Amino acid sequence: MDKPAVFLCGGCGLGDALDLEALRKRIARDKGAGGCSIVPCLCGELGRAAITAAVAANSRGLVFGACSARELAGAFAVEGCHVERVALRELCAWSQPPRTEDTQLLAEDLLAMGLARAQKATVPVPIAVEVARSVLVVGGGPAGMAAALGAARAGYEVDLVEVRDGLGGYLADFSVLTPQAAPFRDLEPCDLPEWITAVRSEPRIRVHLPARIQRIAGEPGAFEVDLEVAGTPQRLRAGAIVQATGWRPYHSSRLEHLGAGRSPDVLTGLDLERMLGTGPLRRPSDGRFARRVAFVLCAGSRDPAHLPWCSGVCCAASLKQALRIRELDPEASCYVLYRDLRTPGVLEEFYRRAQEDPGLFFARGEVAGVEVAPTGLRLALQASTLGDEVALEADLVVLATGMVPVAADGEAIRRLRDARALIARGEQGPQREAAERTVTDLAGHEGSEILNLAYRQGPDLPVLEHGFPDSHFICFPYETRRTGIYVAGCARSPCGLDEARRDGEGAALKAIQCLELCARGLAVHPRWEDPTVPEFHLPRCTQCKRCTEECPYGALDEDAKGTPQPHPTRCRRCGTCLGACPERIVSFPDHSVTMVSAMIKAVGIPDEFEDKPRILAFLCENDALPALEAAARRRVRWSPYVRIVPVRCLGSVNVVWIADALARGFDGVLLVGCPSGTDTQCHNVRGSELMATRGENVRQKLQQLALEQERVRLAELTIADQERLPALIDAFAAEIQALGPNPFKDA
Amino acid sequence: MPTLLCPDRAFLARLLADGGEDLKRCFQCATCAVTCDLSPTDRPFPRKELLWAQWGLSDRLVSDPDIWLCHQCQDCTARCPRGARPGDVMAALRRESVRFHARPRALARWLERPRSLGILFAAALALPALAALWVAASGVVPARTESFAFATWSWLPRGVLIGLYGALAGWVVVAAGLGVMGLWRGFGVPGPTVKGAAASLAGALRRIVAHQDFSRCEASRSRRIAHQAVLFGAVGLVVVDAWVLLGRFNPVLQALVYPWSFWNPWKIMANVAGLAVLVGCGLMARDRLRCPGDAQPGTRADWIFLGLLAAAVLTGFGIELAHLARFTLKGVVYLAHLGTVAVLLLSLPYSRLAHALYRTTALVWAERYGRLPPEGGRHA
Repeated sequence: MDKPAVFLCGGCGLGDALDLEALRKRIARDKGAGGCSIVPCLCGELGRAAITAAVAANSRGLVFGACSARELAGAFAVEGCHVERVALRELCAWSQPPRTEDTQLLAEDLLAMGLARAQKATVPVPIAVEVARSVLVVGGGPAGMAAALGAARAGYEVDLVEVRDGLGGYLADFSVLTPQAAPFRDLEPCDLPEWITAVRSEPRIRVHLPARIQRIAGEPGAFEVDLEVAGTPQRLRAGAIVQATGWRPYHSSRLEHLGAGRSPDVLTGLDLERMLGTGPLRRPSDGRFARRVAFVLCAGSRDPAHLPWCSGVCCAASLKQALRIRELDPEASCYVLYRDLRTPGVLEEFYRRAQEDPGLFFARGEVAGVEVAPTGLRLALQASTLGDEVALEADLVVLATGMVPVAADGEAIRRLRDARALIARGEQGPQREAAERTVTDLAGHEGSEILNLAYRQGPDLPVLEHGFPDSHFICFPYETRRTGIYVAGCARSPCGLDEARRDGEGAALKAIQCLELCARGLAVHPRWEDPTVPEFHLPRCTQCKRCTEECPYGALDEDAKGTPQPHPTRCRRCGTCLGACPERIVSFPDHSVTMVSAMIKAVGIPDEFEDKPRILAFLCENDALPALEAAARRRVRWSPYVRIVPVRCLGSVNVVWIADALARGFDGVLLVGCPSGTDTQCHNVRGSELMATRGENVRQKLQQLALEQERVRLAELTIADQERLPALIDAFAAEIQALGPNPFKDA
Repeated sequence: MPTLLCPDRAFLARLLADGGEDLKRCFQCATCAVTCDLSPTDRPFPRKELLWAQWGLSDRLVSDPDIWLCHQCQDCTARCPRGARPGDVMAALRRESVRFHARPRALARWLERPRSLGILFAAALALPALAALWVAASGVVPARTESFAFATWSWLPRGVLIGLYGALAGWVVVAAGLGVMGLWRGFGVPGPTVKGAAASLAGALRRIVAHQDFSRCEASRSRRIAHQAVLFGAVGLVVVDAWVLLGRFNPVLQALVYPWSFWNPWKIMANVAGLAVLVGCGLMARDRLRCPGDAQPGTRADWIFLGLLAAAVLTGFGIELAHLARFTLKGVVYLAHLGTVAVLLLSLPYSRLAHALYRTTALVWAERYGRLPPEGGRHA
């Protein structure tokens, strides 16, 4: 392959800010460059022609010293070539003073870094995958049925698996629904029968019930699914999976203070739903008419001691039930006792409608307790709008309990299994004690498996804090941390019927996208359509299991010895394995340990520190880099001594690069990633967290080198922190200047 | 032991039927309570009243002084984000309060029927007529007809008339007294007294005469002038009537007064007062039709009361005009006037007019126990 050709763009103020001719001469002297030319406007016709000519002259690497890779992606994509985009516009012309020595040096370094990568990069060949164009839908409730119908109507085969004996989930118990259509005021008959007919009459859908999943092996595009349908094993293939396993009501047994379990006349909303027949409601205790029905909203919801979240539907569902009770028995009165009445969106109309009913009584307050009295159930209200210490009597008390996701915590199950295995092996000492503690803590997860994935990282999806499987609910709905498996409906987030159905359709579309991208050998989000896959040079692997442990997507299984077994379609190309590997055996065609090391070496380190310290910055390409480029668009300036290496994720930073940089004479290293924590902003879930853990290695390295710990800094910020990042860079540069030069500079 | 609340569905149904049909819309945001310039800072109204009304808590509401401290300016109704019309709910609650405290309750309930007013009016016409017939039949013809006013009414003996109306007035005083006493007891004693009885009464009367509550409201400023016209006009008419009645029994005075010329100061006062009531009624009617925000243009009872008031004054003027025009059937006009006045008088403790008693009582109570609007108004 020929040397990469370098093109410098003179547009967008680049020609004014930089001495392009000097830059061209400097690059042309580089032995690694296959020529360097200046084009007044690289994205224009002349630029296009110049690029075409270079490709015709057999250049397979192209370096464009122009604008950011986020701009004009189409115009600068060249089939069959590695394209390296050096953002001279954002990182020099728009953020540095024009025509200064420092700006010129910065441009030279950035180009040299781009060239260094382009010299080593190869053109990726997408992996060839034979995909099954079918979707496995787990759960036959509203979300699952909608997912199945959505995928089938889009032309894909669907296997719908339901654990119960019929379709519909809890909807099968509903006689009426909250309004689903304008004017959103009236109760509607349950539409489940039409949905069942639609699903049953769709030829592309195969319904399996009652069925359980025994095992799911393989990877997106080619999942191998073992089912047990009514006692008979069955095997099928699926390209992608939608998990719509729904919810269960919060255990009312924990709500004894609200009367649960102390009287048969204290029910959950779901219990009441089953009792709403065609005539007046009767008390379970003695069969007499229930003329006074009290609804206790937020029963165990929005309460740190119970469910910390709002399920969002209990209010409207309770109003529906109260109105239904009134329809069936005009003499009945329903008391609605709430903390806040939440009927989001158009359901506010329904709330208004309910308020108009003279037999519905609303009071805000805290239900302090429910006692069984001779004349009925007595509810004590505190801090209520009706007074501080008041009581009400009711024939029935309905506890509007919240939604708990039906999902298994895959990681917990795996920890439990590992601990059990360790104990079974007969290990002794502190390890065994820790394992025994784990078994005690996690025993509740026993038998909760749903998907039974044959994945090294656990048989089910990893979950967030409250048990909902999700990877990044801020940006990517339906996504989980297992590629090709999408969650929908109440298993993803508590929601109402309409939302659950839309959710099902949305997840079905994501499943279809995934299997179509798999068919082309391309990545799903966040590196959408990325054709690269990591390559593992296994002969050098030491089976340390860091990559299999740290991969956020469970893409790597292990063989018996602990050698990673990559599953390329599970991979999202975040590079965490590359960052994790101490043996540096993981590389992408356009991103590897050696490439970045070469980039670091390409930077010219001036001998005299006083005016020119050098700082290397690893910026996450998802948040930190776009934030900095956005600052540049607003012409915010920052220190000219920083040399930026964009990385796929902070988790993909291999600590050897930090050592390389310090040994090479860089005075400081800055690492900027996304905020860590549960409400994670990191596209790959744990990038900054992993970097912080690896930081321990860095600290040891610094100690060995007798360097100040302050020379390496880890920072977390979001894409919105466009003002913070330049300030952070400047502050770090000032600190480094105060620290003085890196003593390894002359080495 | 917490208080057990028992929602009264029948009470609620009456409120809903009686101008408060939107009260269930209230979602307790308290905009009404902070909008109201008369509402005290401690336990302000009308928010709590709306909530109690939603729950049909009749025992708390019928003897709640706050429903009478509101003077129906409709600021709250204009600002209610939910269209619950708190002002109209308060009006409905006031009617419930009158229904509860009026004595005898049966009469109050009977008077609420529109037919009752017709029967009452017919009776008011028939009784003097029957009396006249009886007088004529017994052959007792009055000796002389000395006064201008009664010159032509020799067939209707003054004694009979005074007897009938005296009895009616006496009844009204007793019924009103019973109602007011019940209400006062119902208000209860919320704390230590702030003022003595006389000072409380004086304070309340000052507040009424000055019409200061009216100037605190925004939604219907013209109500102040309307209410002043009606109130002062009505007081003027009552004073003239009292003077005339006194004159009847006092020959010295009688010589001073009768016959009245058109320019007699009493005559002028009566005419001005009558005109004031008519203008006030007209303004009130206009205000009701141009009600602020979602407020309703009054209930049927409101309109009947306004009509009765205007009718009494109009028939009064009718007599005057009939005299001037030497109208032969002026006796009929006179009878009509007597009838409307009788109906107005009898319905005083039961109708919309009862607010004169109940609100005054509440104002005295408020002065006595210091439940007053915030100094200078909430928005000062």
